[in-house]
Amino acid sequence: MSGGRFHRGDRVRVLTHANCGNPRTPAYAKGCTGVVTAFHGVIDNPLDHHHPYPPLYTIAFQVSDLSGRDSPDVVMADLHEEWLEPV
Amino acid sequence: MSGDHPHIQDFDGHVDAVASDLEYFRRKRIEPLVLLYLRRGIIGWNDLFRGHELENWRSSSQPEPDVEKRIRSLEDSLDELILSIAAAGTPPAEHRIAIDDNRVERGDYHPEFRLAARRYEGALETRIGVLEDAIADTRHLVATLTRALILVEQVTDEALEENRKRLSGLGFRNGARIVARAWVDPDFKQRLLETGREAVRELDIPPGRLGKLGVAENSDEVHHIVVCTLCSCYPHDLLGNPPWWYRTDGYKTRIVADPRETIRDMFGLVIGPDRKVVVHDSTSDVRWMVLPRRPARTEDLSEEELADLVTAESLVGSAEVSPPR
Repeated sequence: MSGGRFHRGDRVRVLTHANCGNPRTPAYAKGCTGVVTAFHGVIDNPLDHHHPYPPLYTIAFQVSDLSGRDSPDVVMADLHEEWLEPV
Repeated sequence: MSGDHPHIQDFDGHVDAVASDLEYFRRKRIEPLVLLYLRRGIIGWNDLFRGHELENWRSSSQPEPDVEKRIRSLEDSLDELILSIAAAGTPPAEHRIAIDDNRVERGDYHPEFRLAARRYEGALETRIGVLEDAIADTRHLVATLTRALILVEQVTDEALEENRKRLSGLGFRNGARIVARAWVDPDFKQRLLETGREAVRELDIPPGRLGKLGVAENSDEVHHIVVCTLCSCYPHDLLGNPPWWYRTDGYKTRIVADPRETIRDMFGLVIGPDRKVVVHDSTSDVRWMVLPRRPARTEDLSEEELADLVTAESLVGSAEVSPPR
């Protein structure tokens, strides 16, 4: 598995707009800050897309950060590297 | 849920779910697939017309008078439609379709290729009637395409039958067997959590090829639940279809905004304050399933009997596995 820009435990912010690559990033996460909990590398998934997408990370978001509610719960989303910036 | 055939509580919810599923499979699977075959010259219009004649399609007869039965039969015909699309839409290995094109043409991303959406509005029974017709139309289209593909010798009857058999064998029973093995064999559980699909080969379950399989293990501290907010990714190739509400917008929106309350309101499952809820938002690259907690009073059960306790809902995380009665 090739290395990525981010590592487990890094805090990252999700961009509100990415120019290229994978268009799939959930709207609720855009602009939010989360923590990298897993690195999946570049996933070979030819049935879903022909070219490899950038490296994929699992990012943990606090529900309280996403929706402003008082909540101990967590949403984990798998996001590609070009959508993330370091905090 | 209790009993084998629980009554439908929410008629509108079921009908809305059928409408959104139908639109998904119509706009992103079958109609773009027909267009793709035409564009590539794999079939011509005339093959479709001949296929139509050979198919000799007749729409089904009188609808059920009972609304609940009518909704059930709507759901059954949708399942049949999805199965026939999957069977027809699995091209033979030597079939060269550019997957990038395929993806674009499936209308997900490129506005130029997007097929117009239909709205299914009106009173409940009006909507049911419109959906019955729309599903019948789309089944006709699939049958016609299938016939045309046989005519031009792109597929054979045997290959279609083979696809059909393989696809209808998929189901949450695979997931139940995986869970039961993980409960009785800690080493297997470890391999499952670490390698996902690779581990299921040990159960003679074909691992499938749709991205990675993520397995989230429930514990006394954490309750996991799965969603796909952008589309409806799920390890279909391993576990068959998720429960009907998985594709509804209501579930997708609510579960990420307020997981604990949504689980309580939608599924009647109360997660205690001592447990954290973790929502996993699936993508096509990592498709998640939940490994539920083993219920109490199951020490004497065999692996087979344990598998019988596992429900489709528990694999998504909207239910716990109940102890044996």
